[in-house]
Amino acid sequence: MNKRNKPHPGEPEENGDCCSEDSRRKFIVVSTIGISAACAIFPIASGITTILDPVKKSKENQSKVPWTKVAPLGNLSEDGKPAKYEVVLSEVKDAWTTYKNVPAGAVYLSRSGSEVTAFNLKCPHLGCAVDYRSKSDDYFCPCHNSTFGLDGSVTDEDSPSPRGLDTMETKVEEGAVWIRFQQFRPNIAKKIPLS
Amino acid sequence: MNRFLDWLDDRSGIRALVKEALYEKVPGGARWRYVWGSCLTFAFFTQVVTGTLLWMSYSPSAQTAWESVYFIQYQVWGGWFLRGVHHYMAQAMIVLLVLHLMQVMIDGAYKAPRELNFWFGIALMGVTLALSLTGYLLPWDQKGFWATAVATNLVAEVPLVGPMLQKIVVGGVEYGHQTITRFFALHAGILPAALIGLVVGHIYLFRKHGIHVKEPRPKRDSYFWPDQILKDGVACLAVMLAVVILTLYFKGAPLGPPADPSNEFPARPEWYFLFLFQLLKYVPAFWGAVIIPLVLGLLIFIQPFIGASKRGHQFNIGFWWCLLAGSAGLTFLAFSEDQANINHGAAIKEADWQAQRVVEIALEEGIPPTGAVTLLREDHQNRGRRIFAAHCASCHRYNGHDGRGYSVEDDPSAPELAGFASIDWLTKLLNYEHYISPEYFGGTAFKDGTMAEKVLKKFNEDQKKLLPQVALLLSDLAELPYQDTLSEEKRENLMDIYYDDLACIDCHDIDSEGEGSAPDLTAYGSRKWMIDFIVNPEHERFYGKKNDRMPAFGRDEKLSIQEIETVVDWIRAKPAEK
Repeated sequence: MNKRNKPHPGEPEENGDCCSEDSRRKFIVVSTIGISAACAIFPIASGITTILDPVKKSKENQSKVPWTKVAPLGNLSEDGKPAKYEVVLSEVKDAWTTYKNVPAGAVYLSRSGSEVTAFNLKCPHLGCAVDYRSKSDDYFCPCHNSTFGLDGSVTDEDSPSPRGLDTMETKVEEGAVWIRFQQFRPNIAKKIPLS
Repeated sequence: MNRFLDWLDDRSGIRALVKEALYEKVPGGARWRYVWGSCLTFAFFTQVVTGTLLWMSYSPSAQTAWESVYFIQYQVWGGWFLRGVHHYMAQAMIVLLVLHLMQVMIDGAYKAPRELNFWFGIALMGVTLALSLTGYLLPWDQKGFWATAVATNLVAEVPLVGPMLQKIVVGGVEYGHQTITRFFALHAGILPAALIGLVVGHIYLFRKHGIHVKEPRPKRDSYFWPDQILKDGVACLAVMLAVVILTLYFKGAPLGPPADPSNEFPARPEWYFLFLFQLLKYVPAFWGAVIIPLVLGLLIFIQPFIGASKRGHQFNIGFWWCLLAGSAGLTFLAFSEDQANINHGAAIKEADWQAQRVVEIALEEGIPPTGAVTLLREDHQNRGRRIFAAHCASCHRYNGHDGRGYSVEDDPSAPELAGFASIDWLTKLLNYEHYISPEYFGGTAFKDGTMAEKVLKKFNEDQKKLLPQVALLLSDLAELPYQDTLSEEKRENLMDIYYDDLACIDCHDIDSEGEGSAPDLTAYGSRKWMIDFIVNPEHERFYGKKNDRMPAFGRDEKLSIQEIETVVDWIRAKPAEK
């Protein structure tokens, strides 16, 4: 007798207690959606950090620009005339490979006493290589005609470059000029290192 | 939102599709035994996503495969976890495959009208196993390299086209760039595409015939959504949890030392292929690779027909239980044989050491463009032990083994060299009992020589007490990196013992005057002394004509001077293990 009176699961019970069945179903639906969502998100969640890794690394690397020896101090002319030098980094890391002695770019070095100024060869406008013109004693970008004074500042109002030539940290040690070679974000007024 | 859905439905019929997908009828109600298919789909989905993420940092070539995997494991943010999930989910997939297959067999879901779907399933199993096999090689570490070489050698067993097929798979005769690029294309391109195609067919056929209900039906019929999906989801969650726990426990997937054909390693496949590996110990390769798989494959193919009768169905179930039990038995044998094999254990320890060492160097110095394998090849610690094993260990031992951790069958016939010239080593040497023991000169002619019979044996008790002082003096000359040097005063005192109390100077020179009938102990045990000694022990400074079988490695060009330096530096680097 009892058996006959017991309703099938899923059917409303006779005494009208419909809500418990409703809430059971609601619970099932909600937990099913939750669990399915967890399963769907799991694979991407387990590896999303690897995609974001370069962003994290660039923040960590900003303070790690190494000192690189560029030239003997004696090679620089004492009258402050700039000259171009190749920068050979002793070690360059590209993801898992470490390269030794890699030519990474060039700089203009000029000397005033024991102080050395280093300008990155790349124009801060759009990255063309800047020339030093000995006739007018200034720097000139052959792409879009930006001109810079010996101190690196923009000298011509028509120059498209938003800032002066990019300086880098220098020091003189053991009779040689060392710099911290860096590249900078082009075409903005502020000098922001790329890393 | 509703308007957008209406618009979308109007143009795509998406509502009917979702309804079709979710409101599949589940006769007899939702049951736990139906969850395996969904778990496998979830596992495969995880593999596709994590595999694609790994792909973003992986570089398939002989010089960059291991290196990029090392990069993922040790340098990329969370890379070790991603690798771990991919690795352990692959193993979970094999377990789930077996569970799914056994459920289908036991429930009889493989019989008419579901024959075609059964074959799809078997094909899916083959593709999954192929994915495992190809994935095993991709890190290009010793384990994958040597084990996969066995697998591709088996390909050559295929009649007529075998050798050609092997060349196609390997991309040449030797393993190299082409092997990785081909395996990678298989693993990340061809096989997943095949798997997706087969899964679509599998699910289509499954939907066409509906769930095969195991009688008796426990409940009223219900629908796939949400009852069965909830059960499926909970099971997937459990799989996920197991994979995460394994990943955390083992700190990601293992990465052995970089592949090196000149650095032998005992080839073992992943655990789920061990039964095949073990089988090949008993049957010829042609049987193991061709005949047996072919016969089993054919039998499995016709199982839906065999299963038409009740007896046939019972036979089929029995067949799979036997196959499983047989595989489990063979796997157990493979494990226990390796466990009992001391040299296998040593090889694994050696590889673990190399794996740890190469990571240590890579983190410190970076990896050159020639690849990480050159780091190990040029590493003094690694080379030293290998040179010792190859050239010294047939007579000498190092901590009782061959330098790499392998035991040597024959008894040593020359002195133990771990901690050579250290205070402990010399103190023992100068004790008569030790001197004539196999650990020192027991296996040589010196056992009955002057030093043993006429010197050490003849010392009185007082003299014997002074011998450790001589050990202290001689060990100081060795300038071992792990020992402190003596003060000038102490050295003078000890010299008195050497000259006067024990009169060692009568035979052994110690101040480079070129005198004495026994080996010159000037700068004894120092780097230079050891190198000169190994170059030519027959030099009159050393044993002269009394030399007993020790080869003149340098004079006779058995070893280059760099090799001698390397092995000397290696011996001198560490004290003996206690």
